[in-house]
Amino acid sequence: MEPIIKAENLTKTYRLSKIDVPALRGVGFQIQRGEFVAIVGPSGCGKSTLLHILGGITTPTSGLVCVDGNNFSEMSDSDRTRFRRHKIGFVFQRFNLLPTLTAHGNIAIAQHISGDGFNPHRFDKIVETLNIKDKLQQKPFTLSGGQQQRVAIARALICDPKIVLADEPTGNLDSENAQMVLDMMQELNREFEQTLVVITHNPEVAARAERVIQIRDGHLVED
Amino acid sequence: MLGLPEVQVINKMVLANLLHRPVRTSVGILAVAIEVAMVLLVVGMTTGMVQETAKRVEGVGAEIMVQPPGASFLMALTAAPMPVKIMEKLAELPRVYAVAPVLFSFNASGSGGMNLIYGIDMESFSRVSRGFVYHEGGPFRQAYDVIVDDWYAKAHKVKINQTINLLGHNFRVVGIVEHGKGSRVFIPLATAQDLFGSKDRASIFYVRCTDPSFTQLVKDQIRTLLPRYEVRPIKEYLSLMTSNNLPALHSFIAVMISLAVSIGFMVIFLSMYTTITERTREIGILKSLGASKKYIMGVILRETTFVCLLGIAAGVIGTIFAERAIVEFFPTISVLLTVKWGIWSSLLALGGGLLGGIYPAFRAANADPIEALAYE
Repeated sequence: MEPIIKAENLTKTYRLSKIDVPALRGVGFQIQRGEFVAIVGPSGCGKSTLLHILGGITTPTSGLVCVDGNNFSEMSDSDRTRFRRHKIGFVFQRFNLLPTLTAHGNIAIAQHISGDGFNPHRFDKIVETLNIKDKLQQKPFTLSGGQQQRVAIARALICDPKIVLADEPTGNLDSENAQMVLDMMQELNREFEQTLVVITHNPEVAARAERVIQIRDGHLVED
Repeated sequence: MLGLPEVQVINKMVLANLLHRPVRTSVGILAVAIEVAMVLLVVGMTTGMVQETAKRVEGVGAEIMVQPPGASFLMALTAAPMPVKIMEKLAELPRVYAVAPVLFSFNASGSGGMNLIYGIDMESFSRVSRGFVYHEGGPFRQAYDVIVDDWYAKAHKVKINQTINLLGHNFRVVGIVEHGKGSRVFIPLATAQDLFGSKDRASIFYVRCTDPSFTQLVKDQIRTLLPRYEVRPIKEYLSLMTSNNLPALHSFIAVMISLAVSIGFMVIFLSMYTTITERTREIGILKSLGASKKYIMGVILRETTFVCLLGIAAGVIGTIFAERAIVEFFPTISVLLTVKWGIWSSLLALGGGLLGGIYPAFRAANADPIEALAYE
C-alpha cells in the first residue's frame, strides 16, 4: 500500500548570523495511513523542524517529502497552503488558539478557511467526543490548559484531515489532563482513522503510539 | 467566493479583533472621522461662504453690475475709480429702472469684525433693492450711522444705538435689517467716500431693469456707452462665484483635503502596522490552518474597512453637529454640506484608509509561518 507520508534523505539547514546550523541531516521514513506514530528525541534534535516540513509549513533544504501522493518540493507555497488546508491538522504544545474568538469561533474558523462550509453534524460529533460542548462560548483565556488543548484538537480535526501533526500536545498540561488528551487523541485516531504523528520527548506519550521514530542530532537513529 | 456563513465568521473575527483593542480602534475611527469632518467642513465652509456671498449680491435685486475697466468679479479687490456721475448716464438709458452706486470698503479692524462694508446712497439703493426690511430701527440719519443685518447683529451681539468701531471710526447702529441685500454692514455713501478720499466715486453700479427680460438689451446699451467697463449680468456673476474660480481657494481646498487624507492614511497605517506586529502569532496560526495570503490580506483589509466605515459614519454625524454649532455660534459663517461631498469625503477616507492598510496586510500575508508561530 502507498504510504501516506514518505520522507527521503531530508536535510534542513538554518542560517543564523552567517553560520549554517543543520537541523536535519538526512532523515528518511515512511508512515502508513491510519498509523499513530511518535517522533521522539531530545530538545533541539530537529523534531519540530521535521513536523513543519511534513506539514508543508517550511521546505527541506534537500531531500524528498511526499504526502498523500503530493511531492512538496514540486509544489508552490500556495499549493502547499491549499493542501494543508484540506489534508493536515496541527496541534501545538501552546494550543495556539486565537485569543479574540470563542472556542466555537476557534473551531469554526478552520472550517471557514478550508472553504468547505460549516458542517454542524461533524462539529457536534467532535465537540461531544472531546467533551467541550459546554465551553464553546468561552474565550480561550477562561479555559484550563486541558480544555484549550481539546479545543485545539477539535480545530485540527474539524476539516477531517487525513493527517494530524501534533507538536508536544501534552507539553503544557498536568499529568491528569495529559492522560485525558492522549486518550482522546487515540480514540479519535481509531474513530476517524486519521494518521497521527506526535512529536514528543515524553516516554509516556511515545508508549501510546503504534510506532516510534527516534531522532538525535538531526539523524534518524531508531524506527 | 465566500458564502454568507463564511462572511459572518470572518466578520465576527474582525469585530472581535477590533474590540480586543478598543482604544486603538477608537483612535483609528476618530482619525477617519476627523478626516471626513475636515474635508466636509473645509469644503462646506468655503463653498458655503462663496455661495452665500453670491446669494447676497443676487439679493440686491439688480440685473446688471457695472465695474471699472479690468475689475475683478471679487468685489473686495475692487478699488473705487468710477465717477458717480456715470449713474446719471446709466439711469437715462431706456429700460433702466434704477441705478445704485456702491463704494466698497474692507473693514479688518475695530470691534466690527472683518467684513466688506457697502457705502450706499439710501434712496437709489432702496429703489434697486426694493428697500430694506427693518427688524429694528430705521435708515441713516447722520453721517456716522450704520445699518447691519440680523446675522451680523446676532454674531456681534449688536443692538440699536450701540456704537461699533468700523474703519477706525465709531458708528452708531441705527437699523437692523433682514440679511441678504449685498452686505452685512451699510454706511452712507458720502461717509465712505469721505473716509477713503474717494469723493464722488463708486466701486460698482447696480443696475435694475424695468423688467428682467431686458437684461441683455440693457447690458448691450451700457457696453456701447461705457465700452471699457466691466458689465456683467448678475447671473453671470453668480456662475463665476464658485470655489473653482476663486484664486487660491481651490488650491487651499486641495491642500486641506490632502492633509486630511494624509492624517487618515498615517493613523490607519500605524494602527494596522502595530496590529499585525502584535498579532504575528495569530497570523502564524491562521497560516498553519491553511489560510492563504489572500485570506490574511482580506482579514486585515476588512478590519481597515470596518474602522473606515465607522469613522466615516462618525465623521458625517459629527459634521452635521459641527455645522449646527457653527451656525449657532457664528451666524455669519455659512456651511454648505452636500451629498456629493459627503460621498467624496467618504470615498477619500475609505481609499486613504485602505491604502494605509495595504502594506501591513501585505506584510502579514507574507509572514513566515514558523517565525510567526514562534513569536512571543
